[in-house]
Formats: sequence, structure tokens, C-alpha cells
Amino acid sequence: MIRRALAWALSVLLVLPLVLLALLSLARHWTWPALLPTELQARQWQDLIADSNALGAVVLRSLGMGIAVAVLATALGFVSSRSVAHHPRQGQLLALLHMPFAISPVVLGVSLLFTFLRLHLAGHVGGVMLAQLIFAYAYAVILLSGFWNPQVLTLAELAISLGARRRQVWLQVLVPLARPLLLVCLFQTFLISWFDYALTLLIGDSQVATLTVSLYQYFNSGDIRLAATCSLLLLVPPLLALGINHRLLSATVATRLEAQSD
Amino acid sequence: MGSRSGIDPWIGLLVILIAGPLLIGLGFMLLYSTGLIGLLATGFTLRFWTRVLLDGQTWVALTYSALLGGASLGASLALALALQAALGARLRTGALRGLLFLPMAVPPLVAALLSVHMLGNAGLLSRLAHAAGVVARPEDFPTLLYTSVGLGIVVTHMTLVTPFLLLLLDRLARHESVAELEQVARTLGASRWQAWQRVSLPVLMRASAPVLSVYFVVLMGAYEVPLLVGAQYPSMIAVLIQRRFSQFDMGTRPEAYVLASLYACVAMGLLLVLLASRARHNALERGA
Repeated sequence: MIRRALAWALSVLLVLPLVLLALLSLARHWTWPALLPTELQARQWQDLIADSNALGAVVLRSLGMGIAVAVLATALGFVSSRSVAHHPRQGQLLALLHMPFAISPVVLGVSLLFTFLRLHLAGHVGGVMLAQLIFAYAYAVILLSGFWNPQVLTLAELAISLGARRRQVWLQVLVPLARPLLLVCLFQTFLISWFDYALTLLIGDSQVATLTVSLYQYFNSGDIRLAATCSLLLLVPPLLALGINHRLLSATVATRLEAQSD
Repeated sequence: MGSRSGIDPWIGLLVILIAGPLLIGLGFMLLYSTGLIGLLATGFTLRFWTRVLLDGQTWVALTYSALLGGASLGASLALALALQAALGARLRTGALRGLLFLPMAVPPLVAALLSVHMLGNAGLLSRLAHAAGVVARPEDFPTLLYTSVGLGIVVTHMTLVTPFLLLLLDRLARHESVAELEQVARTLGASRWQAWQRVSLPVLMRASAPVLSVYFVVLMGAYEVPLLVGAQYPSMIAVLIQRRFSQFDMGTRPEAYVLASLYACVAMGLLLVLLASRARHNALERGA
């Protein structure tokens, strides 16, 4: 009985923040001490659909950046992870791959801004994506290096001995075998870009507007309704993934754990 | 499939994309912070390093970051362990099974915004306290955010980290057959508490140590949460670096680079020590 009550209480606590965000984005008047908004309005959502505050372009830019970073990081990470998995210095390479996460995006952004300015990459979407790719690519290699077990290698060698060309082995044997893990990798690397704030702020030189940057600006200017709306928009892709494919996130936890314990 | 002689091009790409930016960034920061490059460069000097190393705020920020990182992780772990022990298999049934994944969909910036509206003086908790007759005005509600103790930072991190650790512990408990081990301990006469404390807890802690060590370093360098709910002073190191870097006075920029170099060395050194000790431990286990 106590366990059941505890499970319910925990479930409510997990859902409460989403409800609060939805109420914040819809509230017209919600002054202290009211527990619920006294008046609701859907104006910011109507504005969003009409694109009167240019959030549509911001959403599209963030989505485009996230998808491009995810595809590039996963593709490069998949091929690189094979080399890492069989390298005699695998441990050192994996340690190197953890380094960007250790020094934090702020430090990396601060340290690379000058170089990016010289290369005319600062203040541009491409520059921000390149900086995000450092983290996404490192994550993809760490995650996908666990895929290359002896069974996979035996299958690849079997395909070669049966006359398959290198390209065929990759596209018709290895990619289908790795598909579940590649999906997890695409999703996670998309989130690295989608959730990023520090690199976009620093490398974007305040000229690349993404959803996280807009959220912070609205929050700082006291526009809580739009900040909450941006927050809800940020939650849409991961929540969709949770709704559409619960196993994707379940596998994400498992692989994230395995990647971190390698 | 890969190149059989010479340098593997994919390892080359990895080094260029990961080690390259790290080395370029560190090298640039060292040159800038020693006065060799930059708009105000006047030749080699160690005065920025001396100034930052003698500045108490540097060490306060580093210690504060380590303490809050440790406190966030420790509190999350304690809560996750308690919930895992209390709920057991119920974590994998009903709505809770799916809802535990929800916090993984929340970025730190959104978590911080939610904390402001939950824990702030005019937040939901304050309103509930008023409804319960505990407080009469928002000012009567205890200040939980923007305090030097960093309570807001710790609580916000807990909301993000605890569900993940709960899923981790549940998975590890199944993987390490903790329930069966506890059962054996109980049949040998151990109480429920003794079985958990002397059997389950050491097994779970040992198995989760690698993830926890990486998490600690990541939490130490947290930026968004302390930026939104942290105090002006003391600051966590990532916030302090960004503030010094973005100040209008260009003269503070070399100091920002000293701070960033110092923190990068500390964080990378710490992670290397943790990874090396893990590798040594694994090697010992394989040898045993």
C-alpha cells in the first residue's frame, strides 16, 4: 500500500513540471497567492502559429541544426568507432573522447571563439554546428564503439569472403545490424545540439538565435509566457520520441550507461 | 575494411576533430593569458596568472563548484537509492515506468526556469504554503534560490539527475542480481537493513562508480542551472569564466582565459585520474 502511494506521488511529481509549464504558457493573470491562473489566453500560441514573433524561423533553424549535427555525428561516429574499437590504444582514445565533456561547453566556447572569428565561423550557424559537432561526434564514437563485437566482425568478414564489396558490407550488413543503436545515436546527438545554449551563445556571438537562446532572452526580459512556450517547444521532440517509441528512450538510458561505463 | 598500414584516417579524423580543438583552445588561452597575443598584448607576462592565482574568488569558485557538484550528485544518489529500495520492482510497472524517462526530455535551462516557478518566493510551493496557512506574504517564504548555499542549484540538479540514477540503479540491480543476493543474506540471518547496507549497497555503488565519476565532473562544470538560479557570489566556475569573458572591459579577458585554462586542467586531470583508477581496478579484477 505504501509502495503504491509512493509510486503515485512520484508519478505526480514527474508530471507536475509539464503541467506548470503549460499553465505558465497559457496564463494571462496568475498573481500570488492563486494556485491556478485566474485567466487564461492562447495568444502566444496563436502568435506562434501566425509567426508574429518570428519563433517559427527559430524553431526551424534549431531543428535544421539538430538534424544536420545528428546525421553528421552519427555517420562519422559509426565509421570512426570501428577504428577505435580495434585500436591498440582504445583506452586512451576513449579518454580523449571524454575530454570535451569534462571541460564544459563554456570553456571550449571561450577558448575557440578567437579561432572561429579568424576563420569567419563565429556568428554563423555553420560555426555553431561545428562546435556542437565536437561534442556530438565524441558522444557518437563512445556510444557506437560498443557495437563492434566479434560476432559483427565475423559477419562482415563472411560477407567479404562471399564477394561483397566494402560499400556493400557497410550498407547491407553493418548498417542494418546497427540500426537500433544508430537510431539512439541520432536521437542523442540531435539532443546535444537541440539543448545546447552555451556554445550557441559564445560561438554564435549572440547572432545565432536558437530556441534555447530565445528562451533565455524571454526569461531575462521577464516574458514568462514566451519563455514557457519556448520551453514546451524544446520538450516536443524528446517527448514525441517518448510517446512514439518508448523503447528508444529505454535503449538510450541503457546505451548511455554502457557508454559511460566503458 | 580500414587502412592496414600507416595512420588510420578515421583515427586521424577523430584526433583532428576532438584533440585539435582542445589543443588549439588551450594553446590560444595560454598565449593570450601570458600577454603574447590579444588586443592589449604587451609581451610575455605572468601578471594575469599571478593576479588570478592570488585572487580568493578563483579558489572559492573552484571549491564551490566541486562542493555543489558533489552535493548535487550525493543528494541525488541518496534519494535514488532510497526510492530504489522502497519501490523495487514497482519502478518497472504502471505509469511510473514511462514517466521516469520524462526528466531526460528536459534541458537544464528549462529545469532552471521550472525551479524559479516552483521554489521562488512567489512560486508554486510558496502558494501552497499560503493555502496551508504557513505564510501570509511571499517574503515569509524561505529563500531557496539565488542563495550562497546553492540550494536552488542542488535541488534543480537533483530533479534532472535523480530519475536517471534511479533507472541506472534499477538496471544495475537486475544485472547484478541484487534481489537474489539480498535473499541469500536474509536466509543467513541478516535483517532487511543489514542485507541492504552490507550486500546491496556495496554492489550497487561499485557497479555505478564509473557513471557517477563522469557525472561528478560534468556537474562541476554546470553552466545553465547556476546561471539562472545561482547566487551572484559565490559563482560556479563556468559562470564566473563566462562573466569575466563577456565583461565590457577587455582587460578582464586574459583573466578569463587564465580561469578557463586552470579549470580545463583541473577537470581533465580529475577525469584522467578517475579513468586511470577505473582501468587499474578493471585490470585487477580481470587478474583476480
